[in-house]
Amino acid sequence: MKNLKNNGTLITQIKKNRIAYYLIIPALICMTLVHIFPMLWGFTISFTGLDIYTVADWTKAPFVGIGNYLEGLDVNSPTGGRFLRSLWNITYYGIVVISLGYLIGLGVALVLNQNFIGRTIVRGLILLPYIIPDSVAYSVWRFMFQARIGIVNQYLLSLGWISEPKIWLVGDRAIYAVMVASIWKGWPFTCLILLAGLQSIPLELHDAAKIDGASVWHRFRFITFPLLMPVTTVLLLLSVLWNFNAFNQFYVLLGRDPGIAADVPSTLILREAFESFHYGVGSAMSVVLMGIMLVFAIFYIKKIRPGEIAQ
Amino acid sequence: MNRKIIKKIKRVFLYLVVVVILISVLMPFFWMVSGSFKTRLEIQASDTKIPGKEPSWIPRRPTLRNYVTVNKEVKILDYFKNSIVISLGTMFFCILIAVMAGYSISRFAFPGRSVYTVSVLSTQMFPGILFLIPYFVMFIWIRKNIGLPMRNTYWGMIFTYTSFALPFSIWILRGYFNTIPREIDEQAQIDGCTRVGALFRVIVPLAKPGITAVGIYAFIMAWNEILFASVLTGKDTTTVAIGLLKYITAQEARWGGMMAACVLVSLPVLAFFTVLQKQFVRGLVAGAMKG
Repeated sequence: MKNLKNNGTLITQIKKNRIAYYLIIPALICMTLVHIFPMLWGFTISFTGLDIYTVADWTKAPFVGIGNYLEGLDVNSPTGGRFLRSLWNITYYGIVVISLGYLIGLGVALVLNQNFIGRTIVRGLILLPYIIPDSVAYSVWRFMFQARIGIVNQYLLSLGWISEPKIWLVGDRAIYAVMVASIWKGWPFTCLILLAGLQSIPLELHDAAKIDGASVWHRFRFITFPLLMPVTTVLLLLSVLWNFNAFNQFYVLLGRDPGIAADVPSTLILREAFESFHYGVGSAMSVVLMGIMLVFAIFYIKKIRPGEIAQ
Repeated sequence: MNRKIIKKIKRVFLYLVVVVILISVLMPFFWMVSGSFKTRLEIQASDTKIPGKEPSWIPRRPTLRNYVTVNKEVKILDYFKNSIVISLGTMFFCILIAVMAGYSISRFAFPGRSVYTVSVLSTQMFPGILFLIPYFVMFIWIRKNIGLPMRNTYWGMIFTYTSFALPFSIWILRGYFNTIPREIDEQAQIDGCTRVGALFRVIVPLAKPGITAVGIYAFIMAWNEILFASVLTGKDTTTVAIGLLKYITAQEARWGGMMAACVLVSLPVLAFFTVLQKQFVRGLVAGAMKG
């Protein structure tokens, strides 16, 4: 920010930094065309009755005011009921997946922070779930969760936990199947970041605490955990944000229509727009979803990175 | 003596835990590989309730048929080509544009910089589904009014994915450029480079780990994406992520073929990762920790 304070008017400054503008122009064009512009467009569409007949020329779609929003949020209409249920589903799903994923990631990071033979290889291997494509991972889990031919039921039966093969991917149980698969896919990333955080903690702190007679638990509670706090906050906030986008796991494991108990906003809006051709209602739902995410996004930008941006 | 034993027990316990972790991580991979060598009959006839016919880890009659006929029922190799073109294109444009933008916000204190930085940060947080409908309408509009087909084309998909990979890439590269001392730019300029020349001749080689991480990120992102691909691609541009879903139809489920395709689809991503693991992890972690 030095330049800003010292010299002259806005115009001389813009001239002085000409190259900076040239360099960001491509990114700026791309992002305007693809983020800002469509966002405003989507906002506009959410107030129109755009459907299959008017989609060829969207300007002809009638203006319906907040009608789409009323329909999308009305508990008594079938669409609105399902949308509100999908918001609850994604919240429930998020709470379980994020907290369990974090705990597993933290636990494994603590284990992998020890010295043992083959540590480097193990660290590479645990990243495999994170690396392979979503479509592959969830296709394999879909196979594993099959009722008659799947390995999951096979093990549960032989352990005696269930007496009949369960149907996992339809109905009320479907969301739990998705949770298991996406925890498996998601925790390695958490672990990777936490491991990097652990390694930045100076060993001297632990040594000093040991000399003072602190137990393992106390060292974790008063040294490791507080020092991991900054990374943890960023990680959890980002997970919460990204959670609202969850789509791949539901779509690949459960198909286009996951059923009421496992429907999430993304799958519902996709069907509303591209199967029922209610583009307007779909857009209104997306805007509502964005509004919810915006709260977290603002929190993230304001609280987590105050100095960062001005830097 | 006693302390030695406790230490030994602790070690054994540690290794046990590591083994449990590894098994739970790798199990689905074994299942994928083993399934890809099973005959269709074996998979369809297996039953958790009938002793002797339970689904097994080792194929009872191993076969290569799933691999030999991989392109027959579902044209997965064609989708493979589509995915390669789209992912490489995305990677190229993403690196080019993100290097310029990242360098610019790392080095210049120009008016509007903080607004730009915040908008870069916030666009990566909006729901993908929010953009899908306007996108669809925009693609139709462009074709109708400019005559340029966008749906079901490579450039349409490359353009889409590049823009989605950009915010995160710019953010990571900005962080990376911040760690390279400014004196190096100044040196290069004294030695007769232009500002842009200094960027491409001196700074870019120094930022290779960051650029690699961004490249892999863009490639993997395009390779994996499902939501936009499910609406905006057509039969000439179907990507592998969508292709995999075609093994299951209302009439039949071809699990064996699907698992063989899964193995093939994972290979490029795994190859990328094994070769460049260190740089990728370093770049990602640096990006996440420093911002």
